[in-house]
Amino acid sequence: MTDSERPMSGYSGPTMSRRQFLGASAALLGVAAAPGLLAACGGGGSTNAASDAGGELLVWYWGEQEAPGMKDFFEGAVDKYNQAGRDKAGDVRAVLQESDTLYTAFRTAAKAKKGPDVQYLWGGTQALEDVWMGNIAPLNDLLPQTWLDKVDKDARRETFWNGEQWGLPFYELNTAWAYNKKMFERANLDPENPPQQWDDFIAALTALKKSGVVPLGVGFKDAWLGGWLISYFGAQNFDSVDDALAPFRGDVEFSGEKYVGWLEPVKELIDRGFFNDDVLSLDLYQGEQLFEIQKAAITNSAQPQIVGFQRKLGTDTVGVMLSPAWGQGKLARFFPGASQVLTVTSFSPRKDRAAQFLQYLHEPAVMKAMYDASGAISPDTRFDLAWLNTDVDKQMAKLKPTLPSIWYQYYYPFPFERDGVTPGLQQLFQPQGSVKTAVDMMQQAIATWQREQPAQVDAYKKWTLLG
Amino acid sequence: MTSPLTARRATRIHPGQGARARGLIPYLLIAPAALVLGVVFAYPVASLVKESVSSPGLMGGTEHGLQNFAAVLPDPLFHSAVLNNLRLFLAVPVLTVVAVLLATLLFERVRGWRFYRSIIFLPYVLAVPVVGIVFSYILQRNGLLNEVLRNLHLSALTRDWLGDSGLAIWSVWAVIVWQQLGFGVVLFLARLSSIDLSLYEAAELDGAGWWQQFLHITVPYLAPVIEFFVTLSLINMLSWVFNYVFVMTGGGPVRSTYVLELLIYQKAFRDGLPNLAAALSMLVLAFAVVLLSVQSVLRHRIERMEG
Repeated sequence: MTDSERPMSGYSGPTMSRRQFLGASAALLGVAAAPGLLAACGGGGSTNAASDAGGELLVWYWGEQEAPGMKDFFEGAVDKYNQAGRDKAGDVRAVLQESDTLYTAFRTAAKAKKGPDVQYLWGGTQALEDVWMGNIAPLNDLLPQTWLDKVDKDARRETFWNGEQWGLPFYELNTAWAYNKKMFERANLDPENPPQQWDDFIAALTALKKSGVVPLGVGFKDAWLGGWLISYFGAQNFDSVDDALAPFRGDVEFSGEKYVGWLEPVKELIDRGFFNDDVLSLDLYQGEQLFEIQKAAITNSAQPQIVGFQRKLGTDTVGVMLSPAWGQGKLARFFPGASQVLTVTSFSPRKDRAAQFLQYLHEPAVMKAMYDASGAISPDTRFDLAWLNTDVDKQMAKLKPTLPSIWYQYYYPFPFERDGVTPGLQQLFQPQGSVKTAVDMMQQAIATWQREQPAQVDAYKKWTLLG
Repeated sequence: MTSPLTARRATRIHPGQGARARGLIPYLLIAPAALVLGVVFAYPVASLVKESVSSPGLMGGTEHGLQNFAAVLPDPLFHSAVLNNLRLFLAVPVLTVVAVLLATLLFERVRGWRFYRSIIFLPYVLAVPVVGIVFSYILQRNGLLNEVLRNLHLSALTRDWLGDSGLAIWSVWAVIVWQQLGFGVVLFLARLSSIDLSLYEAAELDGAGWWQQFLHITVPYLAPVIEFFVTLSLINMLSWVFNYVFVMTGGGPVRSTYVLELLIYQKAFRDGLPNLAAALSMLVLAFAVVLLSVQSVLRHRIERMEG
């Protein structure tokens, strides 16, 4: 008996030689490593998910408010997922959130590190703020790049930061202007060719006003319109999306024609009396209702809502148009593409299972079911455009590949909008309103943001757009 | 061996000790309440102080100092919010004077006083969000109030009550007065119900008129309740107006209706800056403490006046 084969002294149980011990250890290591190896070889999400914590996978989602039918779709999709036993480790439970508490509830949960595994967030910086707070996990570690590449690149750009993808574009929320074709006809305007350039737009609004209707019906009491107006008009002197980030990185001043030139055209619309007289008394959706009840000829609206208008008032009445171009930049004519995202929370012990559920939501049959139920379009190359069944969706889908895509709101920090853009624009609607005061307010908001949020300023410096 | 008598002597409490033990009894009795107060008040305040002087630094560390105060104090939005809270303070004298007058009239049992009392008190029992939503419709540019004015051929008086940045805070102010008035009236009525009516009879015999009776009997008799009501209302205007503003204007237009509570809420929950929110909360707390101190001084003076 050699030393290596000698039983360990004082041990009275079953004996094991060093060779046997090493062999058994290797076998155990092999068994333990198998799932990881399988995953590395493309074993699929379900194998990954096996290493995750079991129990209920909690999803906090939103969207019913802007894409009616989303709740039915989500509940149905989750039921099918659970019934099919797609997640062996446990069921998925989806909880619809309220608009007012979507962020506050999530941030409270994130602070306690206890809450949803998958969280719905509005896109762009509205999602990245939570990334910067450390509430979100990067998706690159959870989803294969080849799979991610199938998701629309413009949509992915909105939540791509510091070299990683943080939000998975869930559905498009393209925004445009709905117009009333019959009112256009009555004002001797071509109902099938809405204005694309600024001068034509002003001429059309003048004709509409002369015909006795309110040309533009909007509501600004609840402040949301500020983000819409800057996104419609504020990026038209940009040559690339990167121009939107530059003032917040500290590369350039937020001044000059490039950044604040858009305020003059907006002031022109106000001064000429093209808006309803109670803009500051009405909330965003109340303003849109002026269009729905045919008191206003044009209103700002999201694509699913324009579809709703069309269903209610008819395709012969409702048309969709993009923002007319006043600017000189390469983005003067742009596609107002935006998408809401789903994220995996940083504190989730079920990240792989969460990623597996996200992949499920992008399966063709599921994307089609979402579109059929809510009209929400997945920004995904696997979404078949032949599924589109409304004029508005088809028209927008046709425009999308022909224009550069940007939704400005997704690239600036939210305090800039709340403390600068919104009050600045609201004061333009006051009798004594001036462009200079609006500019001052926006610059002041940036200065306050820089003072109060140095971590976000650093985050902007690390922000390189997805090429 | 010790006799029973010796044992009793040994355990007898010294008279001085007994007094000390009796002296401890009140403290023991209030101990549970003090403990509860400590948990629900002292601990949160201590946490607030700690949060207000600390903020997340780089690399996950924590910085301590007054940097949060230095960040919020120069913010124009903070100045605007403080100014609006001060504007709302102006509602307190109006509330007090009108409530005292109405309570006095109701106390004199004018015809239909029970009905008026109910009508005046009714707004107070309504939920603030409900009141806010209803008034945000009534006060729209094309809302009920302006429609009524137009129908009365008073179009010149119509305004964009919540959309005009110069008017919005005063519209909120008026709604607060409308709703809070009932509380003051009921409070003063309750106090008046215990007044000795012979004082009024004696004053009448002496030839005192209504105004003199009001000034020299009613008001002094109501003084402790007025002092309580004024202090409570001031604290309400400082830290209990969030619901009105949030529902009716959201702080707009042009940030003209921001109040400190709304600013704290936004910093804490929208901007993810709980430390700045804590610093703002400390300022509000300090203001409230000053108000309570003033009330305390006033109370002592009133008590001295009452002899």
